[in-house]
Amino acid sequence: MSEKLRNQIFAALDGTIDAASFDALHRELETNAQSRELYLECVELFESLGEIKSTGPNLSVASNQVASFRSITVRRYALWFSAAVAVLLTCTAIAYALGRQTSNDRSIADRETVHQRSGSSEVNQLETMVAGHASLRRALDVHWADESTTYQAGDLIPEGRLSVDQGIIELDFFCGATVVAEGPAELEVHSDWELTCLSGRLRANVPPAARGFVINAAESKIVDLGTEFSLLVSKDSAQVEVIDGEVEIHQSSLNPERLTTGQQKWLNGIHQESTTIAEVASSAELEKRRADQLRAKLSKWLDATKQLSADPRLIAYYPIGSERTDKIQSDRRISNTAVTGKAGDGFLVGSVSQSQGRFGELSSGLEFDRPGSRVRVRLDGTFDAFTFVAWVKIDSLQHAYNALFMADGYENGEPHWQIDHEGKMMLSVMVDDTAEIMHYSSFEDAMVRGAGRHRIYRTPVIWDLSKSGRWMHLVAVFDPDGGTVRQYVDGIKVDESTIEPEWMVKQLHIGAAEIGNWGQPSRKTPGFAVRNLDGTIDELAVYNAALDDHKVLELYQAGRP
Amino acid sequence: MNQSRDDQYNEFVSLLGHCENRIRRFVRSLMIRGVEIDDVMQDVSLECWRKFESFSPACDESSNDEFVRWACVIARFKVLSRIRDASRERLVFRDELYDLLADQVLADQASHVTAKHLAHQRALESCLDRLPEDDRRLLLSVHVPGDSVAEIARQTGAKARRLYNRINALRGLMLDCVRSRLASE
Repeated sequence: MSEKLRNQIFAALDGTIDAASFDALHRELETNAQSRELYLECVELFESLGEIKSTGPNLSVASNQVASFRSITVRRYALWFSAAVAVLLTCTAIAYALGRQTSNDRSIADRETVHQRSGSSEVNQLETMVAGHASLRRALDVHWADESTTYQAGDLIPEGRLSVDQGIIELDFFCGATVVAEGPAELEVHSDWELTCLSGRLRANVPPAARGFVINAAESKIVDLGTEFSLLVSKDSAQVEVIDGEVEIHQSSLNPERLTTGQQKWLNGIHQESTTIAEVASSAELEKRRADQLRAKLSKWLDATKQLSADPRLIAYYPIGSERTDKIQSDRRISNTAVTGKAGDGFLVGSVSQSQGRFGELSSGLEFDRPGSRVRVRLDGTFDAFTFVAWVKIDSLQHAYNALFMADGYENGEPHWQIDHEGKMMLSVMVDDTAEIMHYSSFEDAMVRGAGRHRIYRTPVIWDLSKSGRWMHLVAVFDPDGGTVRQYVDGIKVDESTIEPEWMVKQLHIGAAEIGNWGQPSRKTPGFAVRNLDGTIDELAVYNAALDDHKVLELYQAGRP
Repeated sequence: MNQSRDDQYNEFVSLLGHCENRIRRFVRSLMIRGVEIDDVMQDVSLECWRKFESFSPACDESSNDEFVRWACVIARFKVLSRIRDASRERLVFRDELYDLLADQVLADQASHVTAKHLAHQRALESCLDRLPEDDRRLLLSVHVPGDSVAEIARQTGAKARRLYNRINALRGLMLDCVRSRLASE
């Protein structure tokens, strides 16, 4: 316990603690004077370590401890005083910045590319390092050369080889440079600042912050001193042309050469007939082409939604993406377009915000990032099977459980569809809500009373931080007749489990339910009660049927952005 | 009050210089996330300067200790108003705990603030001294500008998460070591 508490305190001081653990820590400190004592000791330790670092990493702190401490203090204040004088005499608040140069209170979270994966009870497992030097902003008609290294828009690009047979990719390097490359192309990403082009055509745009961005090609190093240039690398030649600005070209044993706007240079090979290489699409053109493509995909999907709505097996269908954002806003309602059930419109409650759907600004989505946000529906009836289908963009998994679609009371035959904090999709249906079951919750670190007798069917991990912000097609099927539960991501089955006789339930209901949250938590602990999805949903369908693999794939294909 | 404003100012700066790290610890213990601590410290020192005329130490011997206590009372209210402004921030202590902590620290400061501080630093430095070089670097890396866990992970090929776990273990070690040294003093 003591070690757990310690680690919670460290995580809090590092700024990496998640909300649930912080609440637990808060309670502990409130009620226990010894824990407060420990907390204050930890603060002391943090602050002291922060002061010691001022001696510099290589300076031994072994000798003359007290003396060295004094000297640090004096050195630190020598700087600080001059700042303080300005502050105090003029009573303006500008100069504390000087003091800040020596201050040490940036938390780990601020200093590093550490992304918090909240919701975990293990404080020391909170941080996930995301490896990458660039993100793939757009990918147009791309065929990746290597099946094993394919990326989607929004993905992080780590160090290593990128090969495209055809299509256009646009990379945002973390230094700020943007590179558009047209296939066939072969690139190698080295760092936030450096890239090698082995073949292909590309165009680099380098804003002031990214000045010094390097592209290697044909045994030369091209250093961009600002703005834009293009590059063509083929088997036996390489040509660079400055579209705007200035680049510096380093070739072995030669002094660097500068090229300015309009100038071209052959880096090796024979000077072939002058082709203009500035043909690679600029970001703006790329955006336009992508928008055209999205529009085409949207209209295909809109056609599909009309057919889908006519499916008699639907209990409810909410093609949120097809509704006008301002209309959702004013009506606070989303339409159930299924022919079977006009009644089941969804009502927005709390701070659900309207945002873009998966077809960008052309479509709508509902964001549930605030704890109170939810869409309430009422779907009465008795059903034989369930299939839940949704397009979801998850920003983070903040809570122990993050709701997709949840029946209110979780009574017999009612479903819960959610994702746990580790990124596993979960489907469960209540079997016997009168059963009293106690079990250990590692999240709450206590024995808790279960909701009743039910089984949760979990998939392997389907989401981690690298998928943050990416649209995914999620499907969960509860099939009593077939005796299985199946779950799918992007049309692919990720889990299939048998429903054992003791967990079988054939009379299914929904009743009052929520999209993106859970209305009726049965326990009030923070880890349990708050389940809003930190993400966006722009389509949700519920079927009174168990759709098969083929149909699931078809739905995914029809709705892909 | 026959002191000139300049003399007062010099005295104030000297007190603040000697005591700032104590006041800073007090502020930090009430503001768990240290991100805004510099802003608060600035507010606090300005407020202390405005009110400095009301500071009258009982004796010169203990003026540092008295200054710390006096300034912490001012800081207590400054931090509270800052926390109230930032009520949407998740990681803040709510009122009851806030008062418990402030009271506890102020009680600790009832005597020998400066001497305790120095004893603590001595103990910590000798504990640090017993750490192998790479552990010490790791432990301090989160405080040293230009060094970081990510950098160490890159250089050594170790997993960052493992390093963070190691840092927490080292912190625990330091706490135990400091505690036993202070006890044996």
